Amino acid sequence: MLRASCQLLTQTALPAGKSGGSGFALEFVRWRRKPRWLPVAKSKMFRVPERKKQSEEERTELMRLHNQYKTQLRSVRQFLREEVVRHEETSTADHIVLTPEQEEAEFLKCVDINATWNAKIAKERDQRLAKEREDKVAYVQERLEARQLREEERREQANLRVLREIESSKTFITRENLDAAIETALANPVDHNFAIDLAGNLYRGRNSSQVPDSTPSSNQHALSN
Amino acid sequence: MPSYELALVLRQLPRNELMSVIKRTAESILDKGGIIRKLENMGSRALPHKVSEDGLVHREGTHFTIAFDTAPTKIADLKEEFGRDIDIIRRYIFKLEEPEQQPCTLHEEMLPPAYRKDVQQLIEAAKKNQKKKYNYNSGLDYYPFQK
Repeated sequence: MLRASCQLLTQTALPAGKSGGSGFALEFVRWRRKPRWLPVAKSKMFRVPERKKQSEEERTELMRLHNQYKTQLRSVRQFLREEVVRHEETSTADHIVLTPEQEEAEFLKCVDINATWNAKIAKERDQRLAKEREDKVAYVQERLEARQLREEERREQANLRVLREIESSKTFITRENLDAAIETALANPVDHNFAIDLAGNLYRGRNSSQVPDSTPSSNQHALSN
Repeated sequence: MPSYELALVLRQLPRNELMSVIKRTAESILDKGGIIRKLENMGSRALPHKVSEDGLVHREGTHFTIAFDTAPTKIADLKEEFGRDIDIIRRYIFKLEEPEQQPCTLHEEMLPPAYRKDVQQLIEAAKKNQKKKYNYNSGLDYYPFQK
């Protein structure tokens, strides 16, 4: 189908496009005989198209038209250039000639304005810098105090811990009381298993067959925390 | 020195031999410069599965824990030493850490969602991402943006 439509189009659209006879310069590149990416045919590779013959009258006429066009364009360009030069000369913007005294006065005025600006900005800057310095001092002070507090707290915690350890060191097991400690441990087996019910009662021990009594038994304690 | 807990599973032994095993273990800790805080006997009990150790099959074991302090560099030595002991079926060393303090926040969590702090934070975060809406009663009688 594609091929058929291709032939159809080449028959109708191509002659009009190629000749340029239609109102608009349109040349289809899609429905050609061969795709665009194919190279020039080998037989046409070294073919040099013949140049169009120009008669002597035609050539002289074209030359005349060309010369005329170039001359006119050159004159217009020259006119515009001269106009710019004339404008520059007559306008006063760039051509104020000042005496040295006037120049000096103007320079001094500029210096004055600059100095006032600088003074104003310096004042603002000094204020800003002073404020920043104050803020920074306050910040550092705050951090230092916080650090001191932290250190104190840490020291206190450490002291507490040391005291606690000293207290618990009385119950440490040494070589002397090792035998006795092992005896006691073997004699008293412990069980950390426990169950807990909704009322917060604690049932110690491994056996789950305990039934909660109306009176709290020895292995049943209310949860303190 | 950090605190550790040694959990031992010992094979079924008569009492005096059991004592000697525990004493051996405790003394090896003391020899390495450790401190023994507590000894606990968890009793003899059937093992959860049969265990083959050193050519013997064990179905029951005596559970024993030793709470001790020692230098962390000595832990590997201790493990190695307990590993060579044929009366010890299983040995585990745990680091004891301070229990984490978690205050009870149940009364806050039971509040209706609008009063909960985390929900309020979520709403704030969502508001930040919301696109700004045009206020229709701002005096203009037409919508100034593209619809």
